[in-house]
Amino acid sequence: MKKIRIQEEFCIGCRLCEINCLVKHSYSGKIIKAFREESPRALPRIRVEEEGYLSFALQCRHCEDAPCVENCMSGAMQRDRETGTVFCDEERCVGCWMCIMSCPLGVIKREQKTRRIASKCDLCGGEGEPVCVAQCPNEALLYE
Amino acid sequence: MSEIIQTNYLLIGYSVSSWFAAQAIREEDDSGRILAITEDDKAYSRPLLSYVLGNRSKDIAYFGEVVSHNPIEVWWGSSVINLDGVERWAELSDGRKVEFERALIATGAIPVFPPIRGASGEGIFTFTHIDDLERMSAYIHKENIENILVLGGGFIGLKTCEALIELGLNIQLVELAPRLLINMTDEKSSRHLEKALIKEGVDIILEDTVEHFEREGQKLRGCVLKSGRSISCRMAVVAIGVRPNVAWLKGSGVQVDRGILVNRFQETSCPGVFAAGDVTETMNMVTGERSVTAIWPEAVIQGKIAGKNMAGKRDVYPGSLPLNAVEVGETALISAGLVNPPGDDDCEILVCESEGSYQKLVLKENRIVGLVFVKNIEKAGIYIHLLRQRISIDAFRDKLLQPDFGIISLPSNFRKHMVEGAGIEV
Repeated sequence: MKKIRIQEEFCIGCRLCEINCLVKHSYSGKIIKAFREESPRALPRIRVEEEGYLSFALQCRHCEDAPCVENCMSGAMQRDRETGTVFCDEERCVGCWMCIMSCPLGVIKREQKTRRIASKCDLCGGEGEPVCVAQCPNEALLYE
Repeated sequence: MSEIIQTNYLLIGYSVSSWFAAQAIREEDDSGRILAITEDDKAYSRPLLSYVLGNRSKDIAYFGEVVSHNPIEVWWGSSVINLDGVERWAELSDGRKVEFERALIATGAIPVFPPIRGASGEGIFTFTHIDDLERMSAYIHKENIENILVLGGGFIGLKTCEALIELGLNIQLVELAPRLLINMTDEKSSRHLEKALIKEGVDIILEDTVEHFEREGQKLRGCVLKSGRSISCRMAVVAIGVRPNVAWLKGSGVQVDRGILVNRFQETSCPGVFAAGDVTETMNMVTGERSVTAIWPEAVIQGKIAGKNMAGKRDVYPGSLPLNAVEVGETALISAGLVNPPGDDDCEILVCESEGSYQKLVLKENRIVGLVFVKNIEKAGIYIHLLRQRISIDAFRDKLLQPDFGIISLPSNFRKHMVEGAGIEV
């Protein structure tokens, strides 16, 4: 499967990936609406980490032996057999946070929708290049 | 002479451990017969019970890929009543006999029910089984229950409270210990949970327990606590713990203490007979003590290890790690490992507190051995990973519990190894 490759040497820490990810996963998909009108505001599913001159954007690695999938007791966290994407079925998620405990990268969040559910990178639904990659101004993220 | 069935692999009980064992066996052996025997009539998720009761989940059935993509032969509505771990056969409730080469005992745990006067009769439930869910739901509706007593402030007790809050019931939660989730919390983290429960209208009574229940005919009317306090309720849930379901193993040759004793390969005292999940006693990876760690993630790991070894490969169990999460209202809590080190232990405690949030790490010999996080839980998995991998925190000690702590704080070769995959490095 295609994965997002992180090139830390090119990351400038601008956090455009976070903004674009948030907008992509908002209700409207529009930046102004997503920030001004939607409440609670959608969360970015990517996290820019920064320390001195070093920075990189990190999101779910869609692990082969994904502990979040194994430890999900509702079966909400699952792998798309075709694309290999690990995603959370929000209908089925009960918010037990077993996935959060299990994720060694800490890239799963609690998100308030109609109820609180687990939220993570879904590779933008597998429909081509994820927005964080597409909108990165310096090719610090590649999809290949 | 009753029918004799032969199988390569016999799984006794068909829940988490057996699901993952079956998958691990299949990965190594694509043709051997795998037969599972279970009293249940479908694969369901026990930790979902409280979420179904609270209407947060519609369905109790489990649809995870480990079950849906690994169909094996399951005999539903049946149970093993006798096992000979030496001669390797099992007798079923319907009289049939199964001869096996390898067996997995994964019969889980059953609730502890203390002998309390007045406990027999209507209105008192334990909550670990699909039948309990149906009976409790029906009883709440039929009897129009408004007030309910939950006896036990452990994990099942709190999950029950989560559900009952969603149903809008008035809850009285009685716990013998001076705090909730005694093994998962310290005093401060428990106070956060208590505050959240009180906000949801739960009445918490600590350091007390039920002395006897009071009845009006068959119906529950209330109870009197050890302290003398009277409580009026027509329904109660007893959630003071579970114990391994091992009584049926008498005479099997399988060595049992509190739970089934297993070696590092999840194998019991009878060669060829393995055990996994809530029914076993395993070595705690932090304390080195033997205990029953009845949680889903352990059932997964133990099931996988058992399955692999059953299929003739060698895989070693790293030891158990108690961990769990609860959430009441806005307050989420995650706990892992050793939260309350004994006083004589050479442990160091790091704490970070702010408005409504509490994070505590327990360190020993430069390694993380336990934690409890309240509210700010999303990076707990990173710390738990460091604990499991026994990573020395020497190089990044000053970053621990800082708001921007992350993968970037870890030594670069370790984080490159974590962010795995060809060409994927940070």
